[in-house]
Amino acid sequence: MFESPTLQTLTDYNIWIALPAIALAFGTMFLLVIDVFLPANRKHWTPILALVGIGISFLINLFTYNPEQTSTFGGMFVADAFTGFLNIVVLITAFISVLLSTDYLRRTETNHGEYYILLLLSATGAMFMVGANDLIVIFIGLELLSIPLYILSAFRVTYTDDRDATFVLKSEESGMKYFILGAFSSAFLVYGSALLFGATGTTNLREIFAAVGPILESSAENSGALLLLIGAALSLVGLGFKIAAVPFHMWTPDVYEGAPTPITAYMSVAAKVGGFAALFRLMIVGLSGLTLDAGVDPAAWQGTIQVIAAVTLILGNFVALSQTNIKRMLAYSSIAHAGYILMAVAAVGSAGLVPDIANTAAQAGLVYLLAYAFTNLGAFAVVLALENNDGTGTELSDFNGLYNSRPMLALAMALFMFSLTGIPLTAGFMGKWLVFSAAVQAGLIPLTIIGVLTSVISAFYYVRVIVNMFLLTEDEGSPAVGETAPVRYAVYASMAGVLIVGIAVPLVTNLVNMVSLV
Amino acid sequence: MIQFDFSTIAFFVFAVLTLGGALGVVTNRNLFRGTIWLMVSLFGVAGLYVLLSAPFLAAVQVLVYIGAIAILFTFAVMLTRSLTRLNVRYTRLWPSALGAVLLFAMLVIGVIWPVFGGNELYNQPISDVVRTTTDLGVALVSGEGYVLPFEVASILLTGAMIGAIVIARDADEEEMEQ
Repeated sequence: MFESPTLQTLTDYNIWIALPAIALAFGTMFLLVIDVFLPANRKHWTPILALVGIGISFLINLFTYNPEQTSTFGGMFVADAFTGFLNIVVLITAFISVLLSTDYLRRTETNHGEYYILLLLSATGAMFMVGANDLIVIFIGLELLSIPLYILSAFRVTYTDDRDATFVLKSEESGMKYFILGAFSSAFLVYGSALLFGATGTTNLREIFAAVGPILESSAENSGALLLLIGAALSLVGLGFKIAAVPFHMWTPDVYEGAPTPITAYMSVAAKVGGFAALFRLMIVGLSGLTLDAGVDPAAWQGTIQVIAAVTLILGNFVALSQTNIKRMLAYSSIAHAGYILMAVAAVGSAGLVPDIANTAAQAGLVYLLAYAFTNLGAFAVVLALENNDGTGTELSDFNGLYNSRPMLALAMALFMFSLTGIPLTAGFMGKWLVFSAAVQAGLIPLTIIGVLTSVISAFYYVRVIVNMFLLTEDEGSPAVGETAPVRYAVYASMAGVLIVGIAVPLVTNLVNMVSLV
Repeated sequence: MIQFDFSTIAFFVFAVLTLGGALGVVTNRNLFRGTIWLMVSLFGVAGLYVLLSAPFLAAVQVLVYIGAIAILFTFAVMLTRSLTRLNVRYTRLWPSALGAVLLFAMLVIGVIWPVFGGNELYNQPISDVVRTTTDLGVALVSGEGYVLPFEVASILLTGAMIGAIVIARDADEEEMEQ
């Protein structure tokens, strides 16, 4: 029969390299039990323990940060600098989101321990996803990332008697839309994975890469190449939904607007990190050899991703111009930022032509994700500070004269808006600079021009927020009811992150330069 | 050709259960009784799987079809009480008969015809394709197999369960507890 695994063989399996994710999963389950036994007047310990769990996982991740690629679970999970770096992004995101949540939940009367457990479960899913080297693990990680998010989007519906209030209905709509469309898109991803498995006979990304070459050579008599192409396209649809790329972006504004604001902040970053991690791994490790004429043509999927990136950039930025609600504006802005990161994915497609472009592009995408995480979390933190308990206070006009009432928040928001635009000395500039230069190296000149032009257009709606805050001085300014100590810490942390990534560039590039996927 | 040993007798028993149950489903006017007959028929199919040396498939048949789907049917019928005393009679017999005959013809052509076509696939002795349960079990918990997706899926199910409870629970219940 088979030998039962002893402790010795377990260490041979090298599972300690997945320890950051395992530790967070373990901590979450631990918290689930603890939360039940906490008496009602001690419930404020739940977020503190959640922060401790995230911190422990963060420390373990720093100690196991290992540029050498090692794999475990039969090659299903890999730990390299890519995994380590994105783990850091996910954990920072979860940490800041918990900071934002504590007082928000209390003042909106939705303070229930399950919230933090679902948030941590979602972060665990993202961490398994960034280390996934197998189609099955990508799918399961994506589901563990998404399903808690569906519930958290609708969290204002729970435990409420007031089921007809606008913010409750919007939250309900948000969760429902996200769930139905998310389930639909997961089916696309599964179908695509099944076709890739059918064509190559394996779900492991490295083995898929090895199998692609022979399939293309013998494709005259079999339909393997066609299966590969359809499989890649369907996977792209499934992941495109998670990262909110056009034309799979329809859910984004409604879901972002209706979800509780800390959840909007969290999912605008975490879902993108998970989706792009899977996309980079699938495209670089798995399918970068999928070209019709090796050495002459770029990868067969490059054209499609270029078109998706261009459409995403144009639609996201132009529709954001006409928004009057800041949450919807940031939703369209997040669609546009997905377009910029997709430029890096498109650049990967030239891997067979330009030496080392795959690693350069992946590094650019990672820096962009980190910059985007800090900036977006900070911007949503300021929005949350201004939001009233009934969900109002998030119109652009509510920012009028904010400098009069809350100068610190106004300055922070200005910094985040500059970073989203990509002004030098902010994190956003570093991200855009690296992504654009990767795209130019890959020879995608038209796409780069579209990227630069849409950045200029985006300045218009980002600067409008700044104008509202600083120049409309006759307004009193919002009272900012949500500006409590944890929210302020979150804003400061995000500001520090934006400035560190923007100014102390070597710190980040040294971490990222270890990333090498091929 | 047919040897009357234990497995042949068992085959006939299960075949009678399967077909008889199916007949019970279509002839019974009471939906609730129809559901019970459906369980009998599904149980017969599970028995046939055992005879085909696919014990895992048989267990799944019992767990999923009888354990979950049939129970779901029962709940649906009981929750919509008026359906159990349905008196409306379905009168358009000819289209149904035509559909049934067409379906039967397709099954005969698709499943039974290749058996007589000398296809190599159908000449394998059954004893070569056993051990499915063992293989699945090893694959699920072995470090070189699918232990990571298996464990992560269990966390995922826990999360989904918490979510379902959070969404479904009323504010009143919470207050009553405290």
